[in-house]
Amino acid sequence: MANDILLKIEGLRASVEDKEILKGVDLVIRKGEIHAVMGPNGAGKSTLSAVLAGKPQFTVTEGSIEFMGQDLLAMSPEERAWAGIFLSFQYPVEIPGVSITNFMKTAVNAHRTGKGLEPLKAGDFLKLMREKMAFVQMKPEFAKREVNVGFSGGEKKRNEIFQMAMLDPTLAILDETDSGLDVDALRIVANGVNALHTPEKAAIVITHYQRLLDYIVPDVVHVLKDGKIVRTAGKELVAEIEEKGYDNL
Amino acid sequence: MIIKSNNIVHRVYVLDGRSGCCSDDPRLSVDRHPLAGGGMSSPQSTPNGHFCKGISQHIVVERDAKVDVVLLVMPGTSCDIRLDVRLVGEGAEANIYGAYVCGWEEKVKIAVDMHHDLPHCNSRQLFKGIAGGTSRVDFYGKIIVAQDAQKTEAYQENHNLLLSDGAKVDTKPQLEIYADDVKCSHGATIGRLNEEEQFYMRSRGISLEDAKVLQMISFIAPVLEHIEDKSQRESIASRIEESIRQII
Repeated sequence: MANDILLKIEGLRASVEDKEILKGVDLVIRKGEIHAVMGPNGAGKSTLSAVLAGKPQFTVTEGSIEFMGQDLLAMSPEERAWAGIFLSFQYPVEIPGVSITNFMKTAVNAHRTGKGLEPLKAGDFLKLMREKMAFVQMKPEFAKREVNVGFSGGEKKRNEIFQMAMLDPTLAILDETDSGLDVDALRIVANGVNALHTPEKAAIVITHYQRLLDYIVPDVVHVLKDGKIVRTAGKELVAEIEEKGYDNL
Repeated sequence: MIIKSNNIVHRVYVLDGRSGCCSDDPRLSVDRHPLAGGGMSSPQSTPNGHFCKGISQHIVVERDAKVDVVLLVMPGTSCDIRLDVRLVGEGAEANIYGAYVCGWEEKVKIAVDMHHDLPHCNSRQLFKGIAGGTSRVDFYGKIIVAQDAQKTEAYQENHNLLLSDGAKVDTKPQLEIYADDVKCSHGATIGRLNEEEQFYMRSRGISLEDAKVLQMISFIAPVLEHIEDKSQRESIASRIEESIRQII
């Protein structure tokens, strides 16, 4: 059904500094689906996530992206966030001097303003913070820390999932969320993603390895190679990749 | 200004050319007197509509005394600040914190001479500023450590954010050290707002404008945190946030 479609990418070509990275990507994601995008280093996986989130350094040269019927490419990164897109960064950015609390308060209230709602009352906001911090097993001190400054790899990724829980997106894009994680952190992050998933939402899990997909089980698996999707299949493709490697697909 | 032995003095000076008030703003300053000594000139209108202020100040810090000065130059203020600090007794300490926010065509000049005359004295200078529009900032800071001033600890930092191609910052940190057992350092940077940080914030729904304000406030915050009085600190922080919104 057409109205089940959340995201529709057609013939997407994108480049950075005049180097073409995405060379014609087509992708349709429906409500309730989890898609894995796998591929070797340099295939364009992170570029795809950056283009979806609207990173200014990337130029879309051809193609279109529709998100819930809207022209995503015409929207600024913040408008995309308000519309329900969330990118979990492969390398979350440190913001010295800005506390998690202040950062999240600004973000949550920006979303509310974007939807024509009043800012959240201080008490309600703190309650929401506490609830979502517990959700990713963050200690209360976490709220006072500067965003990602001095965080371990695991803390950075848990912080991403915490922010995702706070903002409750319709489409979550997880860019190499498993990189730099030990098994315990991986489990916390994966459980978080699974718990946030509903039949109304969708997720794109970008990863190099099978590991994360043992915890977050995809409905559809794509292989991205040299800027193009070269294979699409069900979750059984993950095992095939693990066995044969990307070169022999 | 002479800080007598064993005394501790904390002063906050706000220079705001647009409202025509300076440190004698009773709401904002703990010290209603302009910097003593050379004193502060009365505000004068410049052709571009801003006000010009001059501060020329000698601060003498005696044995085991301490002075903390916080200097804030608000947008729309052109000024010429000269501080000459002399640590003349063992155990004396001077901390000078300064922030300036320029968004139009201000001319801000700051010159600090920090003299360490005797052993076991400490000084710290931290100046952070934002320059946009066609403003011009000149920072000159010198630490002079006399031959007798062993065990001196003296640090100086000047960090700047440039918001536009038309703004110009000139920073000249200097060290003049005649003693051989001291810890001294100085550093200066001039940078721009980090775009990776901006994209990260925008991807969370924070507008580009709010992202820039957050970046600038957090840049200035290490200076503001030295304002002891909480309500004064918050009042100044919100005034700075308001003025930052006007210049971006």
